[in-house]
Amino acid sequence: MILCLTVLLILLLAPPSHTGTIGAFPDVNMNDQASLQEATRVLQEEVKLATRPHTYLLIDLVTHTIHIKGRGIDLHRIPIVDWSLTVPEAISGTHRVNTRPPITRRKIDPSASVEQEPISLADMPTGYTLSCTPPLTLTILSSPGDNPLQWIVTGWKALWLELREWAVAFSIDQAPTPNPSLRLEISTEQAQSLAWSVVDNMPLVVRRSTDKKK
Amino acid sequence: MPRAAHTVTTILLVGLLAATISHGGAGSGHESETAIASAPDQASSAQLKNLRVRYHSLSARLSKLKPSQPYILVDTARNHLYIKRQENVVLDALASTGSGTILDKPGENNDQWIFDTPRGEFRVQSKLTNPSWVKPDWAFIEEGLGVPQDPAERVEQGVLGDYALGFGKGYFIHGTLYTRLLGKNVTHGCIRLNDADLKTVYQSARIGTPIIIF
Repeated sequence: MILCLTVLLILLLAPPSHTGTIGAFPDVNMNDQASLQEATRVLQEEVKLATRPHTYLLIDLVTHTIHIKGRGIDLHRIPIVDWSLTVPEAISGTHRVNTRPPITRRKIDPSASVEQEPISLADMPTGYTLSCTPPLTLTILSSPGDNPLQWIVTGWKALWLELREWAVAFSIDQAPTPNPSLRLEISTEQAQSLAWSVVDNMPLVVRRSTDKKK
Repeated sequence: MPRAAHTVTTILLVGLLAATISHGGAGSGHESETAIASAPDQASSAQLKNLRVRYHSLSARLSKLKPSQPYILVDTARNHLYIKRQENVVLDALASTGSGTILDKPGENNDQWIFDTPRGEFRVQSKLTNPSWVKPDWAFIEEGLGVPQDPAERVEQGVLGDYALGFGKGYFIHGTLYTRLLGKNVTHGCIRLNDADLKTVYQSARIGTPIIIF
């Protein structure tokens, strides 16, 4: 009897041990406060998103992966070839994509005798810019090797958008508010896949790298 | 000392000892650490400890939000339907999903039908055997036909296969006569499967089974 109670007491008083559990981000350094803080911030957002019946994006700059997720499940993973982020400190909480990338949809003509081709992944853009709320500009570029011309055009477009923001801010005699801008380079096929999967108002969370080298 | 009192005293002593071991085994090391650690180090160590606890608690919460029962996953970009039980794929089926085409609605208000498979999370709402297709207005209009006044003229047998699983707003997972089109985006928003895969889905799914579409 005493032995049972003793064991029970030891179990009750023992501090919770987490050494055996694996967290949501297996790569997180549990001894690095900045890394743990960022992972916790992202998790906090993700728990909120996963309670709702929608899909969302988790852009993990630490593991170089874009996750399309729903209910905390990884639905699809897209490897990031390269990335750059300006004003990282302005990224906080959940951003929402204002509108999905432009798609040229085919119109059904009831009078046409031949069957019209449906849209497919190949019709999706390979380079595009997504605006989010709160402000975040997401530029998706397919790897230059896949389509160098598209890469240059999308890069210039992103630069043009940034310059225009600055010009507008100067014209109203106001210091430009630095908005974060994230440039992601992925393969052509994955850029099209992402364009397909993004929907209007889709939530996204960015896990920033705490690595000083990047 | 009476036996009961002796027992209580023993329990309390053991409890005290256990508390000392659990916090103090830690305790002794912790205190010696304290003796050599500066105040900011102590604060940072406590912060790190709190962060770890928060991180693990959030990870556990996220894990609990994942479906514990089998669920249906539909990849509309690659036209695949999966039945998954946690991380395991129980079924990988070639499917046909929404074509993304548009059709003008009759009238002057510029309304259109967009034939996309809806994205997000849904639930199996109905399970039907030998379903009949009640043709909607667009099925007649896209063929250049008039919409019939008699509801009986809308009913078509044998085109949806042996089973249909409804997931809301008129969308179904059903069979097809056009199996050569599986793997392509050709539907008006429904999800088509071949007979064998449809039977597996029908048998595996229950009313309420989650369907996650991206």
